[in-house]
Amino acid sequence: MNVTKLRWTVLTASFLILTFGGLIGIYLGDFLPTFACAFVGGEKVGGICFLYPMQAALESAKWQEYKSILVTFFFFSLLIIVFGRVWCGWICPLGFIQDFLDLIRRKLHIDYIRFPQKLREGLKSIKWIFLFIALLIPLWVAFPFFAPDVARDMRMPFCSLCPARYILPMVSGDYLRVGIDFKSATSITMSALGIIFSALTIFGALLKRRFFCSYCPMVLFISFYKKIGFVRLKKNIQKCTRCEICYNVCPMEIEDVFKEREKEDVTFADCIMCLKCVESCPEDDALQATFLGKTIFRSTWTGFFKGTLNR
Amino acid sequence: MDATKYHKNYQQLSPDIKQESTRQKRKEHFARGVARSVETVLAGLEGNPDLPKGLNYFINVMRDVFINSPGPNFLEAGADSRKIVGTYCMMIPEELIYAAGAIPVRLSGGSYEASCIGDELVPRDTCPVVKASIGFISLNFPSVYERCDVVIVPTTCDSKRKMGEELSKFKDVWMIEVPHIKETEGSRTRWLEQIYALKENLEKYTGRKIRRKNLDVSIKMIGQVWYQARRFYELRRLSPSVIFGQEAALVLNAYSYDTASSWTEALAELNNELAELCKKGCFIGNNDTPRILLAGSPSVFPNWKIPSLIEEMGAMIATEESCLGDRYFYDPVGTTEQTMKDMMAGLGSRYLMPCICPSFAPNEDRLYRLLQIAEDFEIDGIIYHVLKGCIIYDFELIRVEKIMKERGIAVLRIETDYNPEDVEQIRTRVEAFIEVLKVKKKKRGE
Ligand code: SF4
Ligand code: SF4
Ligand code: SF4
Repeated sequence: MNVTKLRWTVLTASFLILTFGGLIGIYLGDFLPTFACAFVGGEKVGGICFLYPMQAALESAKWQEYKSILVTFFFFSLLIIVFGRVWCGWICPLGFIQDFLDLIRRKLHIDYIRFPQKLREGLKSIKWIFLFIALLIPLWVAFPFFAPDVARDMRMPFCSLCPARYILPMVSGDYLRVGIDFKSATSITMSALGIIFSALTIFGALLKRRFFCSYCPMVLFISFYKKIGFVRLKKNIQKCTRCEICYNVCPMEIEDVFKEREKEDVTFADCIMCLKCVESCPEDDALQATFLGKTIFRSTWTGFFKGTLNR
Repeated sequence: MDATKYHKNYQQLSPDIKQESTRQKRKEHFARGVARSVETVLAGLEGNPDLPKGLNYFINVMRDVFINSPGPNFLEAGADSRKIVGTYCMMIPEELIYAAGAIPVRLSGGSYEASCIGDELVPRDTCPVVKASIGFISLNFPSVYERCDVVIVPTTCDSKRKMGEELSKFKDVWMIEVPHIKETEGSRTRWLEQIYALKENLEKYTGRKIRRKNLDVSIKMIGQVWYQARRFYELRRLSPSVIFGQEAALVLNAYSYDTASSWTEALAELNNELAELCKKGCFIGNNDTPRILLAGSPSVFPNWKIPSLIEEMGAMIATEESCLGDRYFYDPVGTTEQTMKDMMAGLGSRYLMPCICPSFAPNEDRLYRLLQIAEDFEIDGIIYHVLKGCIIYDFELIRVEKIMKERGIAVLRIETDYNPEDVEQIRTRVEAFIEVLKVKKKKRGE
C-alpha cells in the first residue's frame, strides 16, 4: 500500500469515527486539535474540537471552568506535540471533505487554481483573525463592558463562522442545524457569514486543493508547536535537485520545501503532513518524514516512478 | 501570445551558397568528411571485444543518421509522415512535440567538419558547438536536417542566443526565452507562459490540437524514457563499472536522433543485459581504475576527442554531466493529475528548475549536483572540458575546483575545440593526471 492509499484509509476512518463514532459508543474527548465538530450532535459525535470547550470556558467567566480548560489545553497540546500536522492531513473531518471534493475535481479533469504569491501573503492574516475571534470575543461575552446586547448573541463566535459547523452536521444527515439564526441582528450576521464561509469552502475546495486549510486557525495553533513537534519533514540539501515537483504536488502550495538551501528542517507553518511531497520526490532520501528523529518515510526514485508511470 | 518569436525565412540573404553547383560539391565533400569521422568513432567503439550486445542498436542509429542514406527509418516519407522539429539545448519539452504529432530531434552539433563550415558564418570566438550547429543547418545535411523545417532555440548562453538569429537564414526559428534567474515567481510564470505559447505554435504548425489526453499519453511515454535512463544511471554507479563511459555517452547521444519509443525499448534491453553482467560479476577494470567525471562543456557526438582519450589512457568515465547525456535524462516530469494545468506546470518545472546549465546565475544548484554525482559514482578525479569560446563553463570552474578540493577530488581543466590537432598535447596531460590518480587510489587501497 502506498502512502496516498494509506492516508485515504486513515482519513476516511477518522472521518467516520469522529462524525458517527458516538453511535457505536466511541468518544475520544473534547481536546482534539482538529475540526471534529460538536454540532454533529451528542449522539453521533466521536470526538470534539478543542476550540469548542475553549470558547465555552472563556465565556463562562467562572474560575472553575478556567482551571479545567487548562487541563484540557494540556492534553490538546500533548496531542499536537506528538502528532503535529498529522491531524490536518490524516485525521481532520473537514480535511476529508475537502480531499473528497478534490478527488471529484480530479476525476472531472478540472484544473486547480493557484493563487499568486502576493495574494497568498495577503490572505495569511485571515487565520489570525479567526484565532483572535475564538480567543477574544468569548472574553468580551464573559465580561461585557460595552455593548452587552451584542455580546450576548456572540456566544461561540468562531463556531458560528466555522465552515465545519455547517458542513459536518449536513453530511452527517442533520440539516436542521444548517440555517440562519434569526434571534437577533448579531446572530443573523454571524450565521449568514458562517454559511457564506461554508459555501466558499465547498466551492473553494472543488477548485483549489485544501482551500480552507490556508485560513484555518487550528493550523495556526499547531504551527505554534513547530519547534518541539515529534513529526517533522527533513530535506537533504545536496540530494535535492530543486526540481520543483514537491511544490507542484503540495496541496498547501508550500514553495519553501524546494527552495530551502540551508536548513535541514523543512516543516513549514502551513504544512499538513500529507507526505505528497515525499512520495513524489524523485531523489533517494532527499525528503524524509521523521518521528522523534527516526525516519518513518523517505523519498526514493523507484517509488517516484512507480507512482507516476501508473498514475 | 507573443512569447515565442517567429522568424521569417531569410535564405536569400545567405552568403556564398548562391551557386547551386559549388554548393552541391561542398555538400558532397562535407558528407564524406562527416562520414569518415563518424565511422572512426563508431569503429573505435566496436573495437571493444566485450562490447555489450545491446549497444549495436545505438551504433546503428548513429550510422543511419550520419552515414547511410536515406537516414533513419522515421525520416522515410510514407513510413511516417510526421513532421520533424529540431531543438537545441535541453529546455524544450519534447512531450509537447510528441503530443502535437511531431517528432523532436536534438540538433546540437559535434562534428569538426561542420564546425569548419560554421567558421565562415559566425565570429571567430564562437564556441565549436554553435559553429557546428550552424554548419549542419547551412548545408542541410544529413537528411534529418533536410526534413526539419522548424527549429526551436532557447536563449541560453550568448552564442546559442545569437545562433538563433543566424539560423533564421536557413530555417524557421522559434526563440524561447529562458529566464536566467530561475527562482523568482515572475520568471517562473513567464517561463510557463512561453511553454503555453510553444504549445500553441506547435498546434498551428502540425495542425493537431494538443489535448489533455494526447499530452497525458506523451508524458507517460517519455516517462518511460526517464525511467530507463535512470535505471541506466543507477547501473553505471557501480564501481568497478559495467560499461565504458564513452559507450554510455553514445547511448544517450543517440536519443537525439531517435524516436523515444524505439530508443527506450533498446535501452530497456541494454539495461537488462547490464544487470545480467553485474550479476555475473563481469566488470571492466578493477578497483584501482580511476573513476572520472567528465564535466564542463558537452562532448557532442561525434566529437569523441576527450572521452576516447580518457578511456584509452586507462581511466573510466563513470559519468559525464553533458546536456546531451546524463544531465538531460536525470530529472523526470512529475505530474500527479491528468489535468491540463497540472501537466503543463509539471513540464514547465522539469525543463527549467532542475536544469543546471551554467547559463543560469546564480547556479549553486550545479555545485550541489556535482557533489552528489561525485558521491554517487565514487569519483576520483574530474576532467573539466572547456570548449574554446564557452565562457560560462570556464567561469564556474573556479567554484567547482574549490568545492572539489575540499573533498580531495582533483580537477584537470582542458581547453580545446573540435580540431584534432592538439590531441597529442592533451594526451600527455591527461595521462599524467590519470597516473597520479592511479597511484593515489592504489595507496588508499593498501
Ligand atoms: S487546517 Fe484543514 S485539516 Fe487542519 S484542522 Fe484546519 S480544516 Fe482541518
Ligand atoms: S521534489 Fe525532491 S528533489 Fe525535487 S525539489 Fe522537492 S525535495 Fe528537491
Ligand atoms: S509540504 Fe509536503 S507534507 Fe507538507 S503539505 Fe506540502 S506536500 Fe504535504
